[in-house]
Amino acid sequence: MKPHRGKIVAAALIGVAGVVGAVVLRRQIGRLTAPAAGRHAVAPAARLRLRRGLAAIQLVARGGARYATNAPRLFALAGEHRQRLRNDLALQTAEDVTTTLGTMKGVLMKLGQMASYVDDGLSPAVRRTLSRLQDSVPPMSPDLAAQVVREELGRPPEEAFARWDPEPIAAASIGQVHRAITLDGRAVAVKVQYPGIAETITADLGNVALLRRMLRITAPSQDVDALLAELRERIVEELDYRREADNQRLFASYFDGHPTITVPKIIDELSTRRVVTSELSDGTRFGEFTEWAQDERDLAAETIFRFVFRSLYELRAFNGDPHPGNYLFHGAGKVTFLDFGLVKHFTDTELQPLMQMARYLCVDHDPEAFRKNLEKAGFLRPDAPLSTDEVIEHMAVFYDTVRESRPMTMTGDYSSAVVRRFFDVRSPVTTYAQIPRSYVILQRINLGMFGLLGELTATANWRAIAEEIWPFVLGPASTPMGESEAGWLARRPAVRSWEF
Amino acid sequence: MTAAEQYGTAAGLIERSAAAFVAGVPEDPADDGFFGPASVTWKMSSDIAGPVAGLRSLMVQALHPLAMAGVDQHSDWRRDPVGRLAATSTYVTTVSFGERAAAERVSERVRRIHEHVRGTDPETGRPYAASDPALLLWVHAALVESSLTVGRLFGMPLSPQDSDRYVAEMVVAAELVGVPTELVPSSVAELDSYIASVRPELRCTLAARESMAYLLDPPGLDEDIAEIWQDVRYAAVAALPEWAREMYGYDVPPPTPTRREEVRQVLGILDAVYLGEPGVLEARQRIATRMRTASAPTARRA
Repeated sequence: MKPHRGKIVAAALIGVAGVVGAVVLRRQIGRLTAPAAGRHAVAPAARLRLRRGLAAIQLVARGGARYATNAPRLFALAGEHRQRLRNDLALQTAEDVTTTLGTMKGVLMKLGQMASYVDDGLSPAVRRTLSRLQDSVPPMSPDLAAQVVREELGRPPEEAFARWDPEPIAAASIGQVHRAITLDGRAVAVKVQYPGIAETITADLGNVALLRRMLRITAPSQDVDALLAELRERIVEELDYRREADNQRLFASYFDGHPTITVPKIIDELSTRRVVTSELSDGTRFGEFTEWAQDERDLAAETIFRFVFRSLYELRAFNGDPHPGNYLFHGAGKVTFLDFGLVKHFTDTELQPLMQMARYLCVDHDPEAFRKNLEKAGFLRPDAPLSTDEVIEHMAVFYDTVRESRPMTMTGDYSSAVVRRFFDVRSPVTTYAQIPRSYVILQRINLGMFGLLGELTATANWRAIAEEIWPFVLGPASTPMGESEAGWLARRPAVRSWEF
Repeated sequence: MTAAEQYGTAAGLIERSAAAFVAGVPEDPADDGFFGPASVTWKMSSDIAGPVAGLRSLMVQALHPLAMAGVDQHSDWRRDPVGRLAATSTYVTTVSFGERAAAERVSERVRRIHEHVRGTDPETGRPYAASDPALLLWVHAALVESSLTVGRLFGMPLSPQDSDRYVAEMVVAAELVGVPTELVPSSVAELDSYIASVRPELRCTLAARESMAYLLDPPGLDEDIAEIWQDVRYAAVAALPEWAREMYGYDVPPPTPTRREEVRQVLGILDAVYLGEPGVLEARQRIATRMRTASAPTARRA
């Protein structure tokens, strides 16, 4: 009797729910850090699972992480030879775009980007495939990019901007970023979308039958359709840059004046469906930042942690694209957050049970109430013939970092370990797990944010910080950053409060 | 005699055909080979429908009893089916993209091997020799016609002019294996009438049935590739001429626009998987760069 994928994914997602209200770290740090080989050795369950997947989903599942890391890389960093090659092969027409990214390739890239935070596969082959797919997409030629700007802003870039750099500085997954100076003298980053890509991807996503086959989920059709609908909706949203601009405005306005968090402002009059213009940010990229001193890394990790959970509990929004390329580091804990293309908004009804789960497990110590909320959120079938102890045993790992108030260190392969835990198909809990559609994206916390914090090997008393943010605690400032944040909170208008 | 247990598996199909492709695309060629970056042949070779064209072409070729008997009695395809396909793949890639010297070298090798391939077809009782221009021409024509038809149905369709150009360009490929030029069709019309003229000789022998059954459902494929292969198989069979489908006894619904799009999407996924194999992206970029330069004769860079 083989476990099917739907359930496995559901199980992985259940884990996320826990993470939402809590920081996660395996108590047995040794087990996580232990053998580097562990990553590959864990496989029996994972391998079984991957065997059963189809190329496409394996591809997206396993290649995603690598792709995400590479996506925003500067072309120039790839070496002069490659730079020249890419220029030689630049996309010159909308037709070139369709040839390169049509017939599912754009969809695969997008799915891969998403799946990189929903799943954490291990096959180097598939990882390579996705990364190669990304590499196979050259930038637009200067003329083609200018044509998009002209169509969107009504003027060629040389007129819309005081200065326009025709050479892109970075690749975005379905576009590229140019530097420019606005007519009123601000330095900006202009993201320009490949022409025709939105139509191509939307058309390919319309083939639900194929997507079903690709994902090959044998779960009840209702679940599959919900999952597919969620994926499609998120992807289609990302194709409209206006959406991204709206989200970025929301985050920028909320964090305005924050001591360590910066969100670049959107330039409204230069932002449309296929062009989005925001303040240009400078800073240290993640790769380089990991070489910085540990105290700097701890502070940056604290900022990222605060950003994620303040967004979630106060903005009721989660930036689902927490890959390393979306951060710029400035020292002293200051971090700039980029790319709001994939933001999920939650209703209070969706967030309440997640919050209650953290509350009952970590603060009130009421296992039955914890379980009730797990069921209420739809993560666990209400009729599951399991003892609450079994459920807790299965879930507790996700709350380990916030169950006790003491300093803990995030470690390298931590997030994979959490996900892996839930690929443990032998667990009886897995059978009764489900994926409520609204929570799909939250798995990105596991593989995105915690992956990052693990790479920073960041230490903090995460429980104390969580208490500052948890709406059901609203504890006192626990760190110097918490104190300066308290000042910022006092100065800013109150957010909509929670009722308990 | 029962071949079932002699079959090798098709595991590694993607890896080995990718390696074959990479090996056939030169890194720093001394010349443009027999076709060159401005040719229709190069354009055709970059189409994602290539695997369908390849499979359809084998299915048509196999209907010639003597061509099939030669393969059946002399090739080790049962023991190493993937290796056999990879060898063909290397050959086709080298002739298409390789330098002239390389193309001549591999063709010479094929001609030498053909010298030893002789025998009698058990079903028709007719003797055959692989070096017989008539058989070589059939194999050639089936390939060219399959590329055109599959391109029209599932790939990038060519204009009538480009179709004729493609047939004409490919004449040299037939010459390389030893078909006298004057026998080789050099336009779509000639190609069609040649194929029609051979039809009375065609039949689905036991060997053809057996080998094609293997190809359509090869054992040992990775599960995900097997899933994709279902569409490749469907497309290849759907693209066969009616008479060929009847000989095999296959029956598939004709490709509706929706089905066609789905096949293309699956081929896109297969292409992405292929792209993940070592060297494939680089080899394609070598080809694409040369094609770019050829299509824009005024050099874009000094």
